[in-house]
Amino acid sequence: MKGLWKYISPFAPDQSGACSVFYGLGGIVVIVDAGGCAGNVCGFDEPRWFGKKSAIFSAGLRDMDAILGRDTLLVEKLCAAAADTNAMFAVFVGTPVPAVIGTDYQALRRMAEKKLRLPVMTVDTTGMNLYDVGIEKAYLELFRTFAAASGPIQPETVGVIGATPLDMTCLEDPLHIENMLIGQGWSRVLIYGRNGLSNIQQAGAVAKNLVIAPAGMAAAVYLEKKFGTPYTTAYPVLKKNWVCDFTGKKILIVHQQILANALRQQLLEAGASAVTVASWFMLNVALKEPYDIALREEEDFIQLADNQTYDIVIGDGLFRKALKHFMGMYLELPHFAVSGRM
Amino acid sequence: MKNKPYSITIKELVERGRNNIPEECISSTHLIYNSPAALAFNSPGAEGFGVKRAGLAIPGSVMLLIGPGCCGRNTTILSEMSGYSDRFFFYIMDETDIVTGRHLTKIPQAVKEVCEALDTLPTVVMICMTCVDALLGTDMERVCRKAAMYVGIPVVPCYMYALTREGRKPPMVAVRQAVYSLLEKREKQASMVNILGYFSPLMNECEIYPLLRQMGIKKINELSRCKTIEEYKSMAAANFNLILHPESRLAAQDLQEKLGIPSIELTRMYQIDKIQKQYYILAKTLGTVIDDSIYAAEARNAVTKFVQSHKNVIFAVGEMMNGNSFELALALVRYGLCVAEIYSNLGTEDYVFLKQLAALSPNTRVFSNLSPSMLYYEDTGNRIHVTVGKDAAYYHPHAVHVLWTEEEQPFGYAGVTKLFKKLQEALDTEGGDLQ
Repeated sequence: MKGLWKYISPFAPDQSGACSVFYGLGGIVVIVDAGGCAGNVCGFDEPRWFGKKSAIFSAGLRDMDAILGRDTLLVEKLCAAAADTNAMFAVFVGTPVPAVIGTDYQALRRMAEKKLRLPVMTVDTTGMNLYDVGIEKAYLELFRTFAAASGPIQPETVGVIGATPLDMTCLEDPLHIENMLIGQGWSRVLIYGRNGLSNIQQAGAVAKNLVIAPAGMAAAVYLEKKFGTPYTTAYPVLKKNWVCDFTGKKILIVHQQILANALRQQLLEAGASAVTVASWFMLNVALKEPYDIALREEEDFIQLADNQTYDIVIGDGLFRKALKHFMGMYLELPHFAVSGRM
Repeated sequence: MKNKPYSITIKELVERGRNNIPEECISSTHLIYNSPAALAFNSPGAEGFGVKRAGLAIPGSVMLLIGPGCCGRNTTILSEMSGYSDRFFFYIMDETDIVTGRHLTKIPQAVKEVCEALDTLPTVVMICMTCVDALLGTDMERVCRKAAMYVGIPVVPCYMYALTREGRKPPMVAVRQAVYSLLEKREKQASMVNILGYFSPLMNECEIYPLLRQMGIKKINELSRCKTIEEYKSMAAANFNLILHPESRLAAQDLQEKLGIPSIELTRMYQIDKIQKQYYILAKTLGTVIDDSIYAAEARNAVTKFVQSHKNVIFAVGEMMNGNSFELALALVRYGLCVAEIYSNLGTEDYVFLKQLAALSPNTRVFSNLSPSMLYYEDTGNRIHVTVGKDAAYYHPHAVHVLWTEEEQPFGYAGVTKLFKKLQEALDTEGGDLQ
């Protein structure tokens, strides 16, 4: 049945993706929920939460707030929190509750900006889309609000879009990417999401952007249109030490597209006969091979992989549970947005 | 006040009175800070028993969560826990479901497919609903009845309505009603009692078991100790229910109305004299007498031993632990110990403890765990020696910790004895020269 998932638990939702982009930028993030969504974001989808404090708050909505649409109260709560905090901006991140009651985010933003005298953003996430949709919306909102033409293009500066824990193999990947890019001759690497808002504000002056996850593509396209900044895609620090002979093997990879593409390249070089990328997440047409597969339901994956079509399946360990009849080799490649593990 | 956590002394709180609690201590008036310390409050599924795990308390049950994907997200953790794998299923709603309500017509078929995917037929399918259906006003009782007729086994709604957390029937109250809702009238057994309140058993060494036997009780039921559906159903024959957690009051009321089982409520406390008084009242109500002297003496000895060896240590008490933080702080202070800080949500019902605390320890400071200003709480060094509670441990990483969050529930004298033994052990091994 469409919609029924029997083996695989739900993936990180769009509000988690949005929050991962805003994390640690020095603003107040208000998740417009009753509490559970914020709890999931902080307790499950944000591995930095337990090591680095960040002003992510729940709106703490109660039934009457939702029924009466008490946006004024929400803005008052935000103002009170801002009075205790040195925030650079505030952002409202949506969840199913505002989606159902039809919250007017633009009005909410205007009301809050008027009272706060800070830049206020809104992201209309619904909890019904996947994390990459939220990441995409959040990056766009951030760049639209803060990226400005800040002087001449700096030819030795490169920006990195998409470096959120939900799409990386480990929390140290941004550092590895930075080192690798410096090794390639770039003198400055601006990883958007680090160094507060500063890197975002300088996005108009970088010579090039590197996109490491498909959720960052829309922002890269926006920056290209706005500032003429070219971009490329790659996941340049993927290293897997599987002891395995891939020669002549048919392989299925299930992961975020850019990382999966990087792995595909490595496997083909290692002798694999065919490598297919499948994903429930964004599959950018420009980066997609004709035989790559967009998954929608759990059943799609079972029909694709729970048989002997592939010799090897590579994906998060959580997917394995759905493959009761697959007799080939399963290689685990953690995806934080899937299992909450790196 | 920028960059400083809000706090207030017990004396100030009592002077303001229960009708004038500061806004900073009332969670509905401010944004909620999900600090790692308070996470379990805001997202009970993250640890311990939230609605999802609690809803699976009936032996042989499985759960179908109906909601947007985000509502089932943390279930990945639960699915990996022993006893819960293969018990969670999801119907992931999309925008069309919300607009048209079509998901409701699909639930019976979804329940059928869940049953078919299992090796053995479940005893009951719990349908977990979220804020979305709360706002849509879904009549899930009706939907569940229809599904039950379709599959031939009970299908029970289980409400995970976070929006109603501070209402008359918060989710953890509603889930307690749900898990006892399958009990059907049986012939009464005079010597049988149900213990209601927790989703995990009381500690085995708890004196409540022998004391109830002294009162003539032969069979003591706890939902968490039921291994089979028949054991669960036999709870309907109990002579009375013993409520150990206030969130079970409505479930007990249902059982009174439906099955004619009356109830008596006991409170978890750490003040030995109060525990004693409570047991005597219980015995008197049941028309018997009890001898609890051995258990009381054991608890007193544990307290005395600790106080003698560690009378100068300074405590911080949190709320992420098995107890009421104000009652535990009061107990510690009454035993002659010092409590410098308490981290807790404050309710009017806590004033009974606050008034006594104000007389004994007026300068103890109360912090609201959920206040956004707690973002700025910093450990000020060596002031706090011992913490009780997971939240308190988070705020004071360098202190000696007794988390006191075990699933096996402490209660009565045995709870006091175990807590003080743990404190003694923790300070003896990790406390260095703290005396």
